[in-house]
Amino acid sequence: MPAVAPAPAPRSVAMRATLAGTAVSVLLVLAIVFGSRLLRDFDSALLPYAVATVFLAFGVAYRYTVWISSPGARRLFRQGWRSLFSAANFRKAPTALPKMIATYLGFQKFLGARSHARWGAHQLIFWGCILAAAITFPLTWGWFTFTSASGSGPGYEMRIWGFKVLGFDSLSVVGWLMFHGLDIAAVLVIPGASYFLWRRMKDRGAITGQRFAYDLVPLIALIVISVTGLLLTFSSIFLHGGGYQFLSVLHMVSVVFTLIYIPFGKFFHIVQRPAVVGMQLFKYTARQDEQVFPCKRCGQPIDTAPYVENLRGTMRDLKLDFDAWAQYCPRCKRVLRGTAYLGHVKKGFK
Amino acid sequence: MMGRTIFIDPGRCIGCQACVSACRECDSHRGKSMIHLDYPDEGHSVASLPTVCMHCEDPVAPCAEVCPADAILVTADGVVQQADTTRCIGCANCVNACPFGVPKIDLQAKLQMKCNLCYDRTAYGLAPMCATVCPTGALFYGTVEELRAERPGVQVADSFTFGDVVVSTGVAMVVPADKVQWPVPGGLPIVEVNGKRVGP
Repeated sequence: MPAVAPAPAPRSVAMRATLAGTAVSVLLVLAIVFGSRLLRDFDSALLPYAVATVFLAFGVAYRYTVWISSPGARRLFRQGWRSLFSAANFRKAPTALPKMIATYLGFQKFLGARSHARWGAHQLIFWGCILAAAITFPLTWGWFTFTSASGSGPGYEMRIWGFKVLGFDSLSVVGWLMFHGLDIAAVLVIPGASYFLWRRMKDRGAITGQRFAYDLVPLIALIVISVTGLLLTFSSIFLHGGGYQFLSVLHMVSVVFTLIYIPFGKFFHIVQRPAVVGMQLFKYTARQDEQVFPCKRCGQPIDTAPYVENLRGTMRDLKLDFDAWAQYCPRCKRVLRGTAYLGHVKKGFK
Repeated sequence: MMGRTIFIDPGRCIGCQACVSACRECDSHRGKSMIHLDYPDEGHSVASLPTVCMHCEDPVAPCAEVCPADAILVTADGVVQQADTTRCIGCANCVNACPFGVPKIDLQAKLQMKCNLCYDRTAYGLAPMCATVCPTGALFYGTVEELRAERPGVQVADSFTFGDVVVSTGVAMVVPADKVQWPVPGGLPIVEVNGKRVGP
């Protein structure tokens, strides 16, 4: 097993995280400037959103760097990437990675094993947020533009980085879908987030140890964004723009707050979750080679041998010097402890 | 040791499984029992050992330390919570690093689950399900003073040895009076070659 460097000191982690955050933010600003053709396509009305995404990029890169600097994450991170870039692994199982990405990140089958209702609600939120992010991020960065040669339509052109990719009639079905993509996203997100909010009020398992800022604020934020977004459409269609200014400010504030909150709270799981693919690929490739580690006492498989070695390395990094114990399955650990108690502590235990 | 905690006395355990059944009723992991009941010398002895999470204090929660997803939270009252469902990636690091063999894992659900001292009950001053139903007092919930009021002179230990490492825990075990100053052996087999200790 290749050696992994010892854990870095906290100060150097903070320095590295600051550098990573700054680098990613600068790259995003450059991508905005050049992607919007030197700000020619940049919509200044969307400036607060664009600024929030730069803060988001800094926060995510900072926290990601801190996260993968901890011994457990650092070792698994490296093993995951090593498994990914192994040509031998790719030859053995070329479809493993796309399958895992679809299963764990797209359709999230593991959530179905927890609860079908939670899986359904999470899928609604997930696809709604994916749709909303795919529309709004490029729009706020000035990467997408919608222009009409006649000034007011109905013929429109969609351009990405100045290149025409699609021409459509705004009164057609495609046009309706193009201009109501965010309404569709809101319609997906609202029932999903409402279900989770209801569950957080009613389910005693969910309520146990729940924290307002961590568990409830993200759901409230999603609902506020979605409802204010739908109200903007409602205002323009049914109120002839009545209250639009106020609603647009409210919507903007809720989106900006949520974007800045992402690195600090529950939403960070969006960034962390791909680790499941790296971890699964690391285990899967070792299992393909039949590198299974049996319990030293009962012989039942514990996990893959590289995984157990990786865990023992993590334990040594953390000065948990009973890493040899990881070679025994949980049941044998308990039975051996019971036997020791029986033999050495309380003989009357018999 | 925490103020109010579980005291385990394996000498009193009759292996009736009441704790296992009651644990399933806990709202924070409804339908799944988190307590383990093992028979160390099955076929030769009726001895049984109930195992709940020991809520390690020093080193603090090895399961949380090895977690690559920062999924295991230790609350201010010293209770090591089960994995956060949004963060847990189901890697089983905690399962195999725990010196007491406590956490369970659902590989389909990619989720670790463990005894959280019935946090939905203990946070409100109620005893955990297992200690509530135990008919023999093998699992007692309260302070050490409350335990001694019921069982005068009883001694408890809250440190365990694993090789050269001593782990101090929030949950304690009842031990004979002459074994109080002696950390309870954790069970890790020690192999000696020519009088020198080598790892198993």
